[in-house]
Amino acid sequence: MNPLESLRLSWRSIRGHKLRSALTTLGIVIGIAAVIAFVTLGASLQAGIIGDISPDDRRNVYGWAADPDIEGGPLAGAQPVFTPDDLESVAAQPDVAAAYGYATIQTQAISNGNETVAQGNGLIATGPSYIRESRLAEGRQFERGEREAVVNPAAANQFEENVTLGDELTVTILGGERTTLEVVGITDTSEGQSPFEGFESSPRIYVPTDPYYAAQAAGLGIGGGSGGENETGTGDENGTGIGDARFLAIIIEADSAAQSDIDAARESASAYLESDRSDASELLGDDLEVTFRTSTELLQQLQDVLALLRNFIVGIAAISLLVGSIGIANIMLVSVTERTREIGIMKAVGAQNRDVLGLFLTEAVILGVIGAILGTGLGLLGGYLGAQYIDLPLVYPLEYVALAVGVGILVGILAGLYPAWRAARTDPIDALRYE
Amino acid sequence: MARETAVALENVRKTYRIGEPVHALDGVSLAVPRGSYTAIMGPSGSGKSTLMNLVGCLDTPTAGEVVVGGRPVGALGDRERTRLRGTEVGFVFQTFNLMPRLNALENVALPQLFQGIDRAERRERARDLLERVGLGDRADHLPNELSGGQRQRVALARALVNDPAIVLADEPSGNLDTDTEADILDLFDEFHAAGTTMLVVTHERHVADRADRIVHLLDGKIERIEDLEGDDASGSAADPGRGTEPASDADADSETGSPSRHREADSE
Repeated sequence: MNPLESLRLSWRSIRGHKLRSALTTLGIVIGIAAVIAFVTLGASLQAGIIGDISPDDRRNVYGWAADPDIEGGPLAGAQPVFTPDDLESVAAQPDVAAAYGYATIQTQAISNGNETVAQGNGLIATGPSYIRESRLAEGRQFERGEREAVVNPAAANQFEENVTLGDELTVTILGGERTTLEVVGITDTSEGQSPFEGFESSPRIYVPTDPYYAAQAAGLGIGGGSGGENETGTGDENGTGIGDARFLAIIIEADSAAQSDIDAARESASAYLESDRSDASELLGDDLEVTFRTSTELLQQLQDVLALLRNFIVGIAAISLLVGSIGIANIMLVSVTERTREIGIMKAVGAQNRDVLGLFLTEAVILGVIGAILGTGLGLLGGYLGAQYIDLPLVYPLEYVALAVGVGILVGILAGLYPAWRAARTDPIDALRYE
Repeated sequence: MARETAVALENVRKTYRIGEPVHALDGVSLAVPRGSYTAIMGPSGSGKSTLMNLVGCLDTPTAGEVVVGGRPVGALGDRERTRLRGTEVGFVFQTFNLMPRLNALENVALPQLFQGIDRAERRERARDLLERVGLGDRADHLPNELSGGQRQRVALARALVNDPAIVLADEPSGNLDTDTEADILDLFDEFHAAGTTMLVVTHERHVADRADRIVHLLDGKIERIEDLEGDDASGSAADPGRGTEPASDADADSETGSPSRHREADSE
C-alpha cells in the first residue's frame, strides 16, 4: 500500500474521533509550545543584552575586590579598597590605557530650576571616558575636577521642561547635602553603559569622581578609615578630600579590544594592585581578591545563568512532551483494541502486516506532527508576545523550531510503534470473531 | 479436458492443542472445481469454521495439503499466504464485516488497495461491481446507512473485486430476513452462473439446496457428499469433476473414523 493511501485512511480514522484526537495532541502542543516559547524568549533576551555591548566597551575590564568564594555577577561581595592613588598608578602601568573608579552616589532628589524630582542612586561617579564619544547624542564628556555631568535621556526627560546642554541641576545627596552640576552632554540611550549599572533603562547622571565622590565620601565617612596611613601621593587632590575616598569598583581600558591586549592590561593591573606598592593591598588581606572581568565575560556568566534557567524550563516542557507521548501511546492502544475487528477485516481482504503497521504508525505520527505544528505556532506566538511585553528584540531560534517538529514526529513514531506492532500481529481469525 | 480445481484439500488434519489435542479436522479430502457451487453443512463443532479458515488461507493445516489457486497454502510464509488470500479468496461473512468509516465504494475497493492497484482503477472496478449487485446509487453511503441486505451485497461485491478463485460465504444469510435472504441467494446464483466458484457454509437446508452439492461434515470428517440434481448445464458438467476421488476418500475416512474421536471433538 502506498504511503499516500495510508495517510488517507489514517486521517479518516483520526477524524472519526475528533475530540479524542484533539485531546491526544494537546499534550504534544503544550510541550512543544512551552519549549519554543521559552527558547525564543531566551534567545531574545540574550540578543537584547549582547546588543548592548558596543565595540568600545570591549576594551574595558571591570574590577572589584571580593571574597573569591562569593559567586555572583559584577560587584558581588565587593569591598571598597581602591584609592585614587591606586587608580593613577594603575593607569601608569604598561598596557593600561586608562583607569578610573566607579561609584554610585546615593541621592534624594534632583532639581532643575524650580522643579524637583525624587531620585535615589542618581549619580554615577566615574572617569570621563566611561561615557564613550560614540554614545553621546549631544555635547561632550565631562572633565575631571569640574562640576559637570552627562545625563541620559531618561534623566533629561523626567522634568516637565527637558534638560538641555548648559542647564544647571541641583542634586540633593542622601543626608540632605546639596551640590550643583552643569549638564555638558546627553547620551543616546537610557540603558546602562556597563555591566556595573545593569542593563535596564533608568534615569542616570554621570559625573566625575572628583569632586563628587570625594564629597560624598567625606560626608558619609566612606573609606575614611585607612586615610591616615595613606601618607604618599595624595597630592593636590588631598585638598578636596578625595584622598580619603576608596572605590568599590574600578574600570581599566586596554590598548585595544584584542584578547592579548586585554589580558596584558588585566595582568599588569592585577600585579600592581596585589603588590605591596598599592594602597589596596593593605585591605586585601587573605580574604579579598581582585577580580577583573570584561563585559563579555560578565555576560557569559549571565548567559550561563540564563542557559541554566532555560534548560530547566525546557526540561519541564520535555516532561510535558513525555506525558503527551504516553497519551498518544495510550490512545493508540485503545484504538487498536477498539478496531480489532477492522484489523481482522483488512487482513482477511489481503492487508499485509506491514500495511496494518503502517496505518497505525501513520496515525500516531499524524497526531505527533499536528501537535508539533500547532505547538510551534503557539510557541512562536507566545515568544513574540513575551518579547513584546518585555521589550526585547525578537529572535526566533529556527534550529529549535525544526527540532520541535522533528521531536513531534519522533514522539509519534515512538508512541505509535508498540500499538502498531500489536495491531500488525493481530490474528485475523480471532479478530474477525472479536465482538 | 478436466476442469481446473479452484481449491483442493488432501487428507487435511487440523489439530488444536489446548491442553488435550483436539482434531478439528481429521483427514478431510475435497476438491472444489472452478465454477462449482458447494455447500458445507454440519452441526457446531463439526469443523466448518476450521475448513473455512484453511480454504480462506487464514490458517495452515497441521497435516495434509490445502491447495488454493494452484498453490499449497501450508508451504507458504505469512506474507505469501496473505497475498494469496487477497487475490484468490473472497470472503462473505454472516456479520457483513464492512469497514464502518468507509463508504460502500471504498469498502468494495479495499482489497485492491492492498494489492497496490491505483485509485482511479480501483474506483472504476468497485463502481462496476456495485452496479452489478444493484447498489450503483448507494456508492457514497456508509455501512450504517445501508440495510442488512444492502450491506451483504456490498460485502459480496468486495469479495469479487479481485476476481478470486473462490468466494467463501460463512452463513451469508444468517442475519437477514427471508425476503432479503432470497435476494442475496439469487445474487449468488447469478454470479455462479457467470462462472464464480462458490463455497457456502450454512446450517440451513434451504440455503444449501441452492448449491450443486452439499458436503456434510461431522466431527471433523466428511460424513457424506450429497449431489443435488443440477437443473442447468454447469451443474451436470461439473459432475465428473467431483464426487469421485474425494468422495471415496471421505467415505473411507468416515468408515475408519473411531467413535471415541467423535466424542472428543464434540466435547470441545
